[in-house]
Amino acid sequence: MKIFYLPDLGEGLAEAEIREWYVKEGDTVVVDQPLVSMETAKAVVDVPSPYAGKIIKLHGTANQIIKTGAAFITYETDDAPQSEKDKGSVVGKLETSEKKWDDGNVIIGGKQSTGTSIKAMPAARVLAKHLNVDLQSVPPTGPQGLITPDDVKNFADNKTDSSPSKLVKGEALHGVRRVMAQAMMQSHREIVPVTIVDDADITDLPVKADLTVLILKAIVAGVKAEPAMNAWFDGKTLERQLFSEVNVGLAVDTPEGLFVPVIKHTENRDDRSLRESVDQYKTAVSTRSISPSDLQGATITLSNFGTIAGRYATPIVIPPAVAILGCGRGREVAVSRKGQMTLGRILPLSLTFDHRAATGGEATRFLGAVIKFLQEAR
Amino acid sequence: MAEITLVEAITLALAHEMQADPSVIVLGEDVGKDGGVFRATLGLLDKFGPERVLDTPLAESMIGGLAVGMAVRGLKPVAEFQFLGFIYPAFDQIVNHAARLRNRTRGSMHCPIVFRAPCGAGIHAPEHHSESTEAYFAHTPGLRVVIPSSPARAYGLLLASIRDPDPVIFLEPSRLYRYAKQEVKDDGKALPLDVCFTLRSGDDVTLVTWGAMVKETLAAASALGEHGIEAEVIDVATIKPLDIHTILQSVEKTGRCVVVHEAPLTCGVGADIVAQVAEKALFSLKAPPMRVTGFDTIVPYARLEKYYIPSEERIVAAVQSLMEFA
Repeated sequence: MKIFYLPDLGEGLAEAEIREWYVKEGDTVVVDQPLVSMETAKAVVDVPSPYAGKIIKLHGTANQIIKTGAAFITYETDDAPQSEKDKGSVVGKLETSEKKWDDGNVIIGGKQSTGTSIKAMPAARVLAKHLNVDLQSVPPTGPQGLITPDDVKNFADNKTDSSPSKLVKGEALHGVRRVMAQAMMQSHREIVPVTIVDDADITDLPVKADLTVLILKAIVAGVKAEPAMNAWFDGKTLERQLFSEVNVGLAVDTPEGLFVPVIKHTENRDDRSLRESVDQYKTAVSTRSISPSDLQGATITLSNFGTIAGRYATPIVIPPAVAILGCGRGREVAVSRKGQMTLGRILPLSLTFDHRAATGGEATRFLGAVIKFLQEAR
Repeated sequence: MAEITLVEAITLALAHEMQADPSVIVLGEDVGKDGGVFRATLGLLDKFGPERVLDTPLAESMIGGLAVGMAVRGLKPVAEFQFLGFIYPAFDQIVNHAARLRNRTRGSMHCPIVFRAPCGAGIHAPEHHSESTEAYFAHTPGLRVVIPSSPARAYGLLLASIRDPDPVIFLEPSRLYRYAKQEVKDDGKALPLDVCFTLRSGDDVTLVTWGAMVKETLAAASALGEHGIEAEVIDVATIKPLDIHTILQSVEKTGRCVVVHEAPLTCGVGADIVAQVAEKALFSLKAPPMRVTGFDTIVPYARLEKYYIPSEERIVAAVQSLMEFA
């Protein structure tokens, strides 16, 4: 038999009131099992059992006040009394366990990080998430490798140059290049282009023949055979306008950008007049003395890019015209003549036309006539 | 080498240092005959006698003043306050004298005192027995504030605190006093003060905590690990002076920081840590630095205190919210 005397449930408390018994006489309890809820001047606390064993007597009922140190519960215990075991506190209830404290691998201080972390302004991180940009690939421009919101924006806009050094600082296009960019965008947006390529056999042409003048005349011949290539087309009103005069826009490459001066009334000119016009325009373009009226009114365009390099191309039709003829670099090839393989010279031609305004038949008839003219020219 | 609890580790360190250094004196209410309110000084009276283990009257301001006087005259007092909530009568002695003597005397006097007190909630205690007011002391220049979280760190940090030539507020999480056991070697080896302890390594988030909250934080870290989020857990251990370097180094790696403390939110030590992280590691942050803390209220009694103490679930939820930023 063992008597459990009511301990001081606070500090220096003389008594406590029984609120509720959790056990009754005859119950067998284990150590730390809650026995009773006690109300003190300070709090309501559960009193755990200090012993294991059968309860013989409860020395009090609910709402009864028990003096500190008075007999509280009588146990029938088999094992040696554990009352001497110190609970380790006069206040409260400490969690005790036989659990082992596992500290793992404690590092005093921290571990030096091996990787390099991304440094970015918080706003840049939010923007990157919003624009679905991986910060790893954004080149930082801020101090100490800091990624700024502008870096993220530029990266997202694809404006950042991935090459390490830039030739010139980024700048807005102006002048001729700006006009070119706008014309190309308009063409790309509006026109439905088809490109046809073929070769003209110019083996029999004298080596000194003026190819540019010949091609201009060939275009006139093509337009005669098929007027649909010498036209303007308005995509809004779907109006097509055919012309009797052949005003050939001549694409001239310059450091400032693409110029397309117009050789008016090509159909009425002789070789010398055409050559003079071409030369005048080239000079005027290079000295920037060309007048705006010389750049307007083309009904068809010639891009004689073969003077530089390239065989075939997909030239871009410049609205409102509907066709452009590209002339590649002439070259020697094996050709068949009367069943014999022989060395010949060919001129590669690429015709792009706006399929909204002309048919494939019209385009090929035009191209056929151009080739025929070139092959028969002497 | 024995497996002992945190409170036994305190006793072990006290006994070791009293044995090694005759100038070490233990004083406080019931520290002698009774062995202290939590038995942290059990057996010291028998071993070292009543001249070195002093049962004081119930007057904390006197305990504080007595300790300052002893320290100035060459002793190394270790003063126990029964609970952190009872330390305030000694506040004047601590912040106005112990913390300032070195400065006031231009270094000719100093105060090698350890002010020990149990801290924190979770033991179903009455009012004033569950305080976590470490920030009061961390705010005062001239004081060290140390809070151990395991038996081994309690032993090593208490030794270091007794040996330190200046006053140390040594707060012992009562919730952890007998929570678990650990092998502690009584070899007299001190652990470094003013440095954090990294308890768990991870790349996704840095959890900064101390004292009893280390328990919930480690539990949260392993719960997060099951969701594929690897948390680094830092036990600050010395609240003041703060080893911000270790914390920044970790945050620069993880980009996320959650400070967990039991003390109320407003002006808690977490506020200072988060401020320093924002000042010094802003551009490494992938999400706002965050605090998971007790509430701005008096710690409630037994039945509600589990809602007051930051839970594993609250820590996990905070981390998960941070993972959604970037």
